[in-house]
Order: sequence, then structure tokens, then C-alpha cells
Amino acid sequence: MMFTLFFVDLGRKVLSFLYFLGGLASLAGQTVYFTFRPPYKYGRIIEQGKKAGYDSFPLVSLISLFIGFIFALQTAYFMQRIGSEMYIASMVALSIVRELGPVITALVVAGRVGASNTAEIGSMQVTEQIDALETLAANPVKYLVVPRFVALGVMLPVLTLYANIIGILGSYLICVVKLGITSSMYMHVTFSALLYKDLFTGLFKSWIFGMLIALISCYEGFNVEGGAAGVGRATTRSVVFTFIMIIAADCVFTALFYFIFP
Amino acid sequence: MVFGKTKLELKVGIFVSIGLAVFVIFILSIGGFKTWSSGYRINLRFNFVNGVKVGAPVRFAGVDVGEVKDVRLNFVPEDNCSRVNLNVWIKEDIKIPADSTVWVNTLGLLGEKYVEIMPGSDYASLLGEGQFLIGVDPLPMHQIFRNAENILHSLDEGLERINNKEGSLGKFIYDDAIYNELEALVADVRKNPWKLFIRTKERK
Amino acid sequence: MIEIIGLHKKFNNATVLDGLSLNIEKGQTCVIIGRSGCGKSVLLKHIVGLLKPDSGKVLVDRKEVGVLDEAELDSLRSKISMVFQGGALFDSMNVAENVGFSLIEYTRLGYKEIMNRVEESLSLVGLGGIGNLMPAELSGGMKKRVALARAICIRPEVILYDEPTTGIDPIAADSINSLIRSLHDKLKVTSIVVTHDMKSAYHIADKIAMMYKGRIVIEGSPREIRESHNPVVHQFINGLAKGPITEAVDTFK
Repeated sequence: MMFTLFFVDLGRKVLSFLYFLGGLASLAGQTVYFTFRPPYKYGRIIEQGKKAGYDSFPLVSLISLFIGFIFALQTAYFMQRIGSEMYIASMVALSIVRELGPVITALVVAGRVGASNTAEIGSMQVTEQIDALETLAANPVKYLVVPRFVALGVMLPVLTLYANIIGILGSYLICVVKLGITSSMYMHVTFSALLYKDLFTGLFKSWIFGMLIALISCYEGFNVEGGAAGVGRATTRSVVFTFIMIIAADCVFTALFYFIFP
Repeated sequence: MVFGKTKLELKVGIFVSIGLAVFVIFILSIGGFKTWSSGYRINLRFNFVNGVKVGAPVRFAGVDVGEVKDVRLNFVPEDNCSRVNLNVWIKEDIKIPADSTVWVNTLGLLGEKYVEIMPGSDYASLLGEGQFLIGVDPLPMHQIFRNAENILHSLDEGLERINNKEGSLGKFIYDDAIYNELEALVADVRKNPWKLFIRTKERK
Repeated sequence: MIEIIGLHKKFNNATVLDGLSLNIEKGQTCVIIGRSGCGKSVLLKHIVGLLKPDSGKVLVDRKEVGVLDEAELDSLRSKISMVFQGGALFDSMNVAENVGFSLIEYTRLGYKEIMNRVEESLSLVGLGGIGNLMPAELSGGMKKRVALARAICIRPEVILYDEPTTGIDPIAADSINSLIRSLHDKLKVTSIVVTHDMKSAYHIADKIAMMYKGRIVIEGSPREIRESHNPVVHQFINGLAKGPITEAVDTFK
């Protein structure tokens, strides 16, 4: 009996996930369609861009500074044992630019901006503001999703660049101040380890993450049911799903890049 | 806000343009300005390159002056062998004499391969765009092993002869006569230390 | 002006509209009464094209709403505006931006002209000079009136009201009723009002239709409704706890 229940539950979960993916894909299609359809309204994109980029900057930079500190110290722990402190810089630079910068930034922005998107759109849905938008001949996808989609798609790579440089700065501080590596040596090793493809694959991933955050958070917002409690549930779901999708997409793209650009 | 200008655009503008500046800094630092400086290309011919890859550094007199742009394997019918052609980019202001020696060297712990150019002395004829230089082949590993084997063989032979009490070294080690003589000498010196000082005089 | 023919709609196997038909003439104010949750709002959403019928059709100016493409739907919505139950004001914008939303988004009118139109609409609902307040600062009754101002700002031919007098005090409710009446008289708009407030219904209606079990059970002038001998109508308009409606609901479940 328990066994059957387990499978029924599992089946239901799989089914709801398929609904989620289907809905997300349809929203993505509409969003791309409306993104390229005039009229273009820059005002709202700028407004969302400020929320997503400018306002997230302090948090993202604080976290990436700490990540830089931590990563330098953890790498130093092993590198000192084999006497290659010099290579801390290249390890840190590669890990941050390829992986940690894009992912940490995306997770921070998903928690901060994604959650607020879901809550905002969700409460608009609950109070019939979405319907009101439609009766005023403003397509909700064009009016609400497209600005967020474009803003996050642009701002997340920009934030990632900031996160990269600040993370490297954090590790630089540890290496130069605590481990006695000279400043010019550190910079040289860092930038000789990096290739263009490292930077570009990282930025490409963060672009994908930005669009994922926008789409999932808006999708969950539109699908709110059941008042304030529903908004709360949807916000949780939105953050959880965004995290899962970011990590899954990261895995897929990392593998893809590993095999396509070895 | 829809009505009235705010400083929103300005903030986002500053944010994005600093982001772009960071991007440009990244691009320039990674590229190390290489892409924009001019240079020329020469070709190096080897029979064996020990795994040099595109992008490997090229050093002239121990200084990085360029990089490997292309590695190509050609079959040469008249010699009935395969040749490796390395196309190498060299900075504009580096003058390489035509009688320089070129070989593939290994860098550091991680075994990164690079192209080493030892400057020649004939600065009258310099290498120009697209010209050839024949490289000295690095010793492949099996060659090194073979050489080591030869050395070991000779050593072995010598040692065997020593063991057989042949030659002066063999006799020195295995003949007790010298030892007895030395012992007598030491005993004599201990007994009559003055002999050490006047011996030369006496002998004369 | 508006014809509804055999409209069916189901949500998760629960039938909400079951072959509903209704005719509304141009310039008429039609009040649709019925119990809460009987599908009156759903009906309004069909008229403005927010929901698509399972079968049947809604004709506005002889055009079927359910099959319009995007551009036609936009032009339909520039003629019909809807006043939502809770006002549904956009709470990220101030009152003036809310009222002028369509003008700002879809016309090339200048700032001054838009502000004039906004002020005009606001003073029509008796709220001149509050353009700079945010919706969160308004009372429930004021929100409804601002929503009404937003609806009339585009100078529509049809206004749909979803429970305009619910949840506000009787004085404010009466002022809204007279507002609807005067809009009908002055601007000659066709109005459809969904309500369960009988006082309001008698006050504003040219025609009253009662919805019950997904259909219109009776339609007629306020006098005809008041004098109807239909037990369902009788129970509803007199607000009786016992009668065919409550019994039916019990058996329905």
C-alpha cells in the first residue's frame, strides 16, 4: 500500500514537472516573440535593469569577495604542501571565471530578484491586476515578462563580470598580503592561465541563467492561486525551481563546452 | 516612473558602462595586447617535435618573443619520411640570424613544451617573413634510454674487470701489498716523526 | 450591441456557465444578479475576452470575441473597459499613472494633454487632485472610484462593472450608483453591472437579469423582477435564507 502510494506520488510529481516545463517553454516562446515585436519600451527595461543589476551589485560583490578569500585559502592549503603557491592564482582565476562567478551570481540574483519578481507578479495576479492589464490592451507577457527577461539577460553577464573581477581581487588580497606572492607575479599568472574561451563560456552561461531566472520567476508568478498564501508558496517554488534549473543548466553547458571546445 | 525623468537611466548607464570597462580589461589582459602588435611568421622544420601545441611559446635567447601558430605534418616523398612544419609568429622587432639553432625544449615541472631558439652570430642574413629554419630534433625518449643503456654497458664492463683484479684500479682494490706497505710506513712515521721533515734532505 | 449565445464554460469539471444567453442593447444598463460564486465574473471575463468559451459565443458589435486575433482584440479592448472588484489598480504606479495608463502606453498624446484627461476623469468620479497618491494610500471606496476613472479615461462604449458596491460603506456605494447612472445618462455608455446588491440594482438598471446554475433564469425591467413570482428570484431579491436556491445548493453537493 505504501509502495503504491509512493509511485502515485512520484507519478504526480513527474506530471507536474512536465506541466511546468511545458508552461515554461510556452512562456519562453511568447517572451522571445514579444521581445522582438514593436513597440519597444525602454523605460521598463531600464527600471528592471536597475532592480536586477544596480541594486544587486553590493550583495553580489560582497559575496564574490568572500568567495575569493575562501577559495584562495582553500587552494593554498594544498598548494603549499606541494610547494606550488604560484599556481593558486591560476586555479582561482579559472574556477571563478569559468564556474563560480556565473553560478554564484545567478544564485544570488535568483534569490533576490527572482523571488521579488514572483511575489510582485503573483500579488498582481491575486488582485486581478494581470486581468486589468489585459483589459487595458497591455499584453502581460509583453508588459511584465519582456522587460525582466531582457534586463536579466543583460545584467547577469554584467554582474558576473563584476563578480569575476572582485573574486579575483579577493584572492589577490589573500595571496599578496598573507602568502607573500608578489603583485605582478599574481597578475601575470592569473591572466596567462585565462583564455578567451574561459571568459566567454562563463558569460554565455550567465546569460542563459539570467533568462532562466526571469522566465521561471514570472511563470510562477502568473500561476499563483489562492491569495497571499499562494503567493508565498509560489515564491518558494520559484526560488527552488530556479536553483535546480540553474545548476542543471550549468551541468549541461559545462559538459557541452568541455566536449565542444576542449 | 512613467512621468518625469529620474536618475534611473544614469544609474543603470554608469553600472553597465563600468561593466563594459571591466570586460575590456579582461579581454586586453587575457590577450596581453598580443593580438594588436604586429609581427612576422617563419617556418621551422623538424623530424620530431615532442608534442608542441598551437599556442606554445617561442623563446629567443631565453626571452618569450612569439608563439606557435600552426603545427602541420607533411610527407616528403623524395626523402621518404614525414616532416613537421611549425608555423611560428615572431614579434616585429626581433631579429633572428639565419644560422640560429632551434630545438624543442621542456619547461618546468608540468612539462610544457616550447620552442627554443639559440641566437646565431650571422646578423648579416636575418630570417624574414615565411623563411625556413631547420630545427635540431630533440632526443626522443627511447633514444635517451638507448644512450643510457650504452653507458651502463661500458660501466658494467669496467666494473667486471675491476672485480677480476685486472688493471691498476683492480689491483689497487684487491692487492694487499700496498696496504702492508702503507701500514709499515705509518708505523715508521709514528716511531720517527722527524723523518717527515728531513726526508727530502736525506734523499738528496 | 452585446449578444451572448449558448455560452458554456467548465473549470476542472465544475460547470460554471451552462448555455447562457443574453442580449444587451446599445446604451442600456444591464444588471446581472446572482449569488456569489455563481459565475457572474466569469461571464464578464468572457465578454472582454479574458477567458475563452468552451462552446457558444459572445458577439460584441457582431464580432465574435473568442476568435479575434491580437490586433482585433486590442481594438475591442479600446472600446470596452472593465472595473474590477477590488479596483485592481497597479500598485507600483501612482493614481494619475493608473488612470492614464492606456493613454501613456498606446497614444502619442503629450504629457499635458494626458494630465488633462486624467484630471477630467478623476473629477468625474469626484476625486480631483489626488493624482500623486499611491493606490496603497487610498481607502476601498476611493480605489473603486479610481478604477472607474481609469475605465472611463479611454472613453469607452461599454463599461463592465464587477461588483462595484461590494465592501464599501452605503454612502460611498450610493455615490458610485449615481456615478454609474450619470455616466449612462451623460456619456451614453452601455453598462453591464454584476452585483448582488439589490438596492444598487434597482437604482441603476434598465434591465435586470438573474443568473442561476449557469443560466439566465429571468430578465426584465426592475419592476418586472420585483413583481416576479419565480420562487428562485423571489428568494434572492428578498434575501431569504430558506428557499429553492439554498436547497438546490445542498443537493448540488
